[in-house]
Amino acid sequence: MSDQLINALFLQVLTGLQIGAIYALIALGLTLIFGTLGVVNFAHGALYMLGSYFAVLLAKQIGFTATILVVPLLLFLLGILLERGLIQWFYARPHVDQILVTFGLAIVVEETLKWIFGANNIPFALPSWGLGIVRLHEWVPFLTGFVAFPKWRLILILVTLVTIAVVFLLLEFTRFGLVVRAAMRDTDMVSLLGVRVPRYFAMVFGLGSLIAGIAGTFGGPITQVTPGVGMEVLVPSFLVVVIGGMGSLPGALIAAVLIGLALSFTAEYSALQQIIVYLIAVVVLLVRPRGLMGKKGVFE
Amino acid sequence: MIPRNGQAGWAREAGLLLVFAVIVLTMPEWLEWIGGYSALATKVTIWALFALGFDILLGFTGYLSFGHAAFFGTAAYATGMSFRDFSPEIVPALLFSLAATVPLALILGYLTLRRTGIYFSILTLAFAQMLHAAALSIFSDWTGGDNGLTMDVSPAFMGEDLSDRAIFYIAAGTLVVGYAIARQIRRSPFGLMLMAIKENPMRLEYTGAHLRIYKIAAFVISALYGSVAGFLMVVYEPYVATKYLHWSTSGELVIMSVIGGVNTLIGPMIGATFMLYFENVVQGYLGEQWKLVLGIIFVLVVIFVPGGFVDMYNRARRRLGMVARLRRPNVPDAPGSIEEERARPRNVQARHELPTE
Repeated sequence: MSDQLINALFLQVLTGLQIGAIYALIALGLTLIFGTLGVVNFAHGALYMLGSYFAVLLAKQIGFTATILVVPLLLFLLGILLERGLIQWFYARPHVDQILVTFGLAIVVEETLKWIFGANNIPFALPSWGLGIVRLHEWVPFLTGFVAFPKWRLILILVTLVTIAVVFLLLEFTRFGLVVRAAMRDTDMVSLLGVRVPRYFAMVFGLGSLIAGIAGTFGGPITQVTPGVGMEVLVPSFLVVVIGGMGSLPGALIAAVLIGLALSFTAEYSALQQIIVYLIAVVVLLVRPRGLMGKKGVFE
Repeated sequence: MIPRNGQAGWAREAGLLLVFAVIVLTMPEWLEWIGGYSALATKVTIWALFALGFDILLGFTGYLSFGHAAFFGTAAYATGMSFRDFSPEIVPALLFSLAATVPLALILGYLTLRRTGIYFSILTLAFAQMLHAAALSIFSDWTGGDNGLTMDVSPAFMGEDLSDRAIFYIAAGTLVVGYAIARQIRRSPFGLMLMAIKENPMRLEYTGAHLRIYKIAAFVISALYGSVAGFLMVVYEPYVATKYLHWSTSGELVIMSVIGGVNTLIGPMIGATFMLYFENVVQGYLGEQWKLVLGIIFVLVVIFVPGGFVDMYNRARRRLGMVARLRRPNVPDAPGSIEEERARPRNVQARHELPTE
């Protein structure tokens, strides 16, 4: 292979990872909430969008570094509030009602943002440490010549990796994670064992919302900050969840990377790029209806 | 609920349809009394038809589609292309749009109905968005891309240009016929099968029924209503907006159906009237925030009266001590519903068969 080809391939893989990173974060929250609470959150895109808006507004006031900490925390609290105030009353109701109420919520958030901030994009000023490009050829041994990538997009990939790692550790090695994983398998049994499941449910919803906040803070500068962006990111994220298998965390990650790469490698054929995600979904659905990592008999 | 058959049923049915037809046909007049304008009536009728068809899927089988814009939009584009490139006659345009949407409905139905519940909603949403994306990219040479499909024709029937009033009567007539058909479907064994799918698909499958066929049939019938609505929309207003294919069109359909009352046939049509009235008349008072207010109304309805306006009406009647048929749409297996049923005084509704476990 020529050096040129290696360089181009490397960049496309990076772009794919960056596209997949936003979907991965949103899908992670979606699949976590769905797997544990059994609720499909059509308002998850709205939470992402709220994260972006909070980040834009707060960054001007308290600086970007503080924003990174404050926004996910805000979203966490908002998520808990939402679960306690609204979602918890819908566990016993049919899935259709859950979809409807979260869909309605998404509309209310979208229209409120449109009312307050208008329909136009709010320019997102990056912090000084996130500007510019990274000269990758100085870091990666097999690259030759000049290979560069926007710094912010690399940061996004890194933040995604760290977030995923933290969530993984949280779920695998803590008591909280143990209960949540058990509740994903059998909620009734866990509550019979004396665990206060509702509290954990609120925490899980808060966690999903927090991850959406992280995605919104770091993804906002890339996806723009407009009232329509919530639904725009939600649809592919849903597909990521479906392709990966409902309620499967590793499945969601694999699917997110797959879709990110597919989008990046079809970038030259814009017509194909528009529909590639859906094509993948069709193929997966036909060949393996429960998704790549979906467990047999779970949410089939 | 048991479909009412028998001799007496037909006279009642005819009377009911007559009342319905009078209400629909006089819509241009009574819309003006409540602050609307008569031209709005055509739009209301078209959306009511769309919502009526949607109820055959969501109300009867309980499958919540978020992708019905696919049929509305595809039919609209097909009609638009027929007007632009072939002739301003409406009959070939209708045939052309049906030829496009029926295979589409079969394919989408085959793919999406492999899954149930949440999956179905997500998949229909995704495939409709795929069509939207495709219309704006791959097919943009035919569809006019982001600008929508513009044409300079006035739709005609047998060589004669259609007046606004004539178009309204076509739409209103279609709606009345559509309502009659939908009511017959509900009374039929086929309709009963669809409702049984919502109640308990597993038990139904154990009886040896092939549910897939019924589900696809319901999906296609419902798509047909949507296609005719999309066709009429372009006849009414010879312009195809890209929004017709967008998820927001499906979303509006879902909102109006739920606000009106799912699984009542009449409810979604009332919802459509309410929503268009809101969009065109109340907007004058609320300004751009009408969508926000509508969204809040929608959320409140979903939380407190999942049966929509029709359920509200029935509750009010029961509160007043009148006899009202109990129908909790889209809440078939909610915990406590069975106990609630059993505890209910029996004389309120003798026809309603209790679910027995």
